[in-house]
Amino acid sequence: MTTKEQQATAPGIKQDSRRTDISKTSLFINRAGAYFIVAILLVIGLIIAQGRFVSIDNIRSILNAVSLTGMACAGLAFVVYSANFNDMSLPMTMALSGMMAVQLIPFGIVVSVVGGIAAGTLVGVVNGILIGKFRANPIIWTLAFNMVLSGIVRVAWGGSQIYPDTVAGDSEFAQQAAVQFNSFARTYFFDGALPLMVVVMIVLFVFAYFMMTRTRFGNKLKMVGSNYEAARLSGVNCAKTVILAYVLCSLCAAIAGIFYTSMTKIGAYSNGEGYDFDCLTAVLLGGMTLAGGKGNIVGVFGGVLVVGMLKNIMTLIGISTFSQYLVTGVVFLIVVWINTSSERKLGRA
Amino acid sequence: MSEAVNTNENAYALEMRSVSKRFPGTLAVDQVDFAVRAGEVHALVGENGAGKSTLMKMLAGLYSDYTGEIYIDGKLCELHSPSLAKEHGVGMIFQELSLARRISIYENLLVGRLPKKNALFIDKKEAVRQASELLERVGLGKQDPTKEVSEISQCDAQLTEIAKVLGSNPSIIVMDEPTSALSSEEVKRLFAIIDSLKKQGLAIIYISHHLQEIFEVADNITVMRDGKKVGTYPVEETSTEHLIEKMVGKSVNEFYAEHTAEIGEELLTVKDFTRWGFFHHVDFTVHRGEVLAIVGLAGSGRTEIGRSLVGADPLDQGTVVLDGKEVSFKDMTQAVNGGIGYLTEDRKVAGLAITQSVTDNILVTIIDQLSKGASYYPKKHLGVVNKKIEELSIYPPEPARLVNNLSGGNQQKVLMAKWLATAVDVLVLDEPTRGVDIGAKQIIHQAVLDYAARGNGVILLSSDLPEVVGLCDRAIILREGYIVGEIQKHEINENTLLMAANGEGRHVS
Repeated sequence: MTTKEQQATAPGIKQDSRRTDISKTSLFINRAGAYFIVAILLVIGLIIAQGRFVSIDNIRSILNAVSLTGMACAGLAFVVYSANFNDMSLPMTMALSGMMAVQLIPFGIVVSVVGGIAAGTLVGVVNGILIGKFRANPIIWTLAFNMVLSGIVRVAWGGSQIYPDTVAGDSEFAQQAAVQFNSFARTYFFDGALPLMVVVMIVLFVFAYFMMTRTRFGNKLKMVGSNYEAARLSGVNCAKTVILAYVLCSLCAAIAGIFYTSMTKIGAYSNGEGYDFDCLTAVLLGGMTLAGGKGNIVGVFGGVLVVGMLKNIMTLIGISTFSQYLVTGVVFLIVVWINTSSERKLGRA
Repeated sequence: MSEAVNTNENAYALEMRSVSKRFPGTLAVDQVDFAVRAGEVHALVGENGAGKSTLMKMLAGLYSDYTGEIYIDGKLCELHSPSLAKEHGVGMIFQELSLARRISIYENLLVGRLPKKNALFIDKKEAVRQASELLERVGLGKQDPTKEVSEISQCDAQLTEIAKVLGSNPSIIVMDEPTSALSSEEVKRLFAIIDSLKKQGLAIIYISHHLQEIFEVADNITVMRDGKKVGTYPVEETSTEHLIEKMVGKSVNEFYAEHTAEIGEELLTVKDFTRWGFFHHVDFTVHRGEVLAIVGLAGSGRTEIGRSLVGADPLDQGTVVLDGKEVSFKDMTQAVNGGIGYLTEDRKVAGLAITQSVTDNILVTIIDQLSKGASYYPKKHLGVVNKKIEELSIYPPEPARLVNNLSGGNQQKVLMAKWLATAVDVLVLDEPTRGVDIGAKQIIHQAVLDYAARGNGVILLSSDLPEVVGLCDRAIILREGYIVGEIQKHEINENTLLMAANGEGRHVS
């Protein structure tokens, strides 16, 4: 390095004066931050809740709680990674896919699930085209689209909730489908030790991991998220890449929405409420940044665990649901603050 | 130098005594003496990187760590912040307008000091009156100050900008390329205003690449080169040739490698290339093995031609024939597949993803060539990356290193490497060595010549004249969006290029 620098002192040659070293704390927060917090929460949980925290029941309850958030996060990670901040239409994507699935129960369980997932994925297609191709502001557009969807859902179902068994009516075939539908969230493997929801979440995370690292799409997304203009001027089809990111996001959200509906046995427009910020908190805790192009799926999984454990501990020590909102809200703000300030230290925000 | 004309020290509105400013690794301004009298228009000229803007930024208070002394009206001042500079009467007019387009002229002019009627309300009448007074001074007395800035012409906006600076009662005004967006008629108007400001006793520092304008407007001219002052010349004692000679200094041709490329058949032919307002009816041809330079001053449409050629910007008319086939690209994806690459001018904004690794950056242009299916894993292609790292001596030679952690010169090499990795036949290089050290520059230049020698064509868009002289086989001269001439290899030197780009008379369309 020294010889290079000596050369650079030749008169009239401008040298790059920006700092090139990366703050160690920023790197640590980006790489291992989430698992560090997981460890801390684990200790807190062990102390506060004593025996109850590590019981099979509680672990299963943590896993159940995180699996819905986790499924949605596996998809949302693509949107955050692409530097489009957040998919604000996540709640209605979940609600719409769940309600669509319930509505289609009379046509059998396969049609119901496929139809529900398709409806949710369609949201991603629209988001992707508007944001990827026509460069709409990602927050404003998805927020507005969330409202439009919420209006459509309320008008279509007259503002009412729908129940799988009621929708199924008297037909034997449909009733069977309704029972199957409701059992999704209640299926366990290994004598009740491993919920189906957890399996699906892990499958989605593995899928997301491979999409991110081992495909042309994932590697292009990395460049698009890091520097859109540079990617565009390197011949990367940015529109296509962003569209796919939104489609994957909505696909995962739709799957989460169906499990949510199955768990509550109610198809309602309020089904995904709060998932937009819960999921973003988890993704950012996992080391992804709002500036995009940073972090990885393994970290996001850690972020999901943190959010799940935090909620579980709060419930165990008896914090009311209302106060939990306050706590998760504050956690979100702190995470965003650390996130942007570590970015600023890297000279990127 | 300044001693010779220094008869009465108090007459200087500004005097900078042996000021220096060091950036890591380079002395951007080296022991410069610079003095301007009240009632004088003093032009500051020099090539890119000569230190003009650093010197002026020092005056604007943008650096707190310069050395040397700055006297304003004979008093020693410490210009360590922009507000201090303003207090001492320095007014800056930059190339880009600082006016808010959607609000009225008077609000723009009096921003931060609008007269108040009482605690709550602004005295609009008084504000309009004060604004009119300022506008009067720049010859816009008839302009209605309540109009929005977006409603007035570019020239009026430029003059309004001057009026805004006048509002803070400066004794020194710095104008950086104030004519870049003006037509020749408007330039005349601006010059008349500058003349009247001069008569009002202001010291005006005028920076421009257009030497012709400088001869029209300036009283004295100071030339800078490589961070040092070359000299100050009264305008009547100098000429364009003389100035250019002083700006360029000794030739650095020996620094450049020999051309070995055989110039072959026609590779790229561009006809009637037009994007209205940027460049018009541009025709040129690039042959195999040839480096063609497009030379022009800032704002001549150089970069825009490159961007439209690869589909990154729109195009209004024109045809492009590449290797015998007519082509037209809607975006960079098509251009890269079609055989044209474009190395962008600003590596941090549009060139590299600096938070990603060298591998990711070099392979981004060829992801689709390396893999046809969905699966793609960059670590499988480390061979390609290592080859490029070796070819361009990227240091340290670590494919996994983040680009952010490389020096500027090595970052620029990565940018070059990502285009050399492609199989494109024509490469448009927009400022391929801006802001890099000599060592990196040499390596990049060699890589360009080697690339051309393999039978490819290069279009070089550069404002670094020694680079153009050293690299290109032929240069076409662009002035205000029109091609005004072509210079062959044996005639190319910095003097001919500068003379041609400045030309005689502004081109009026």
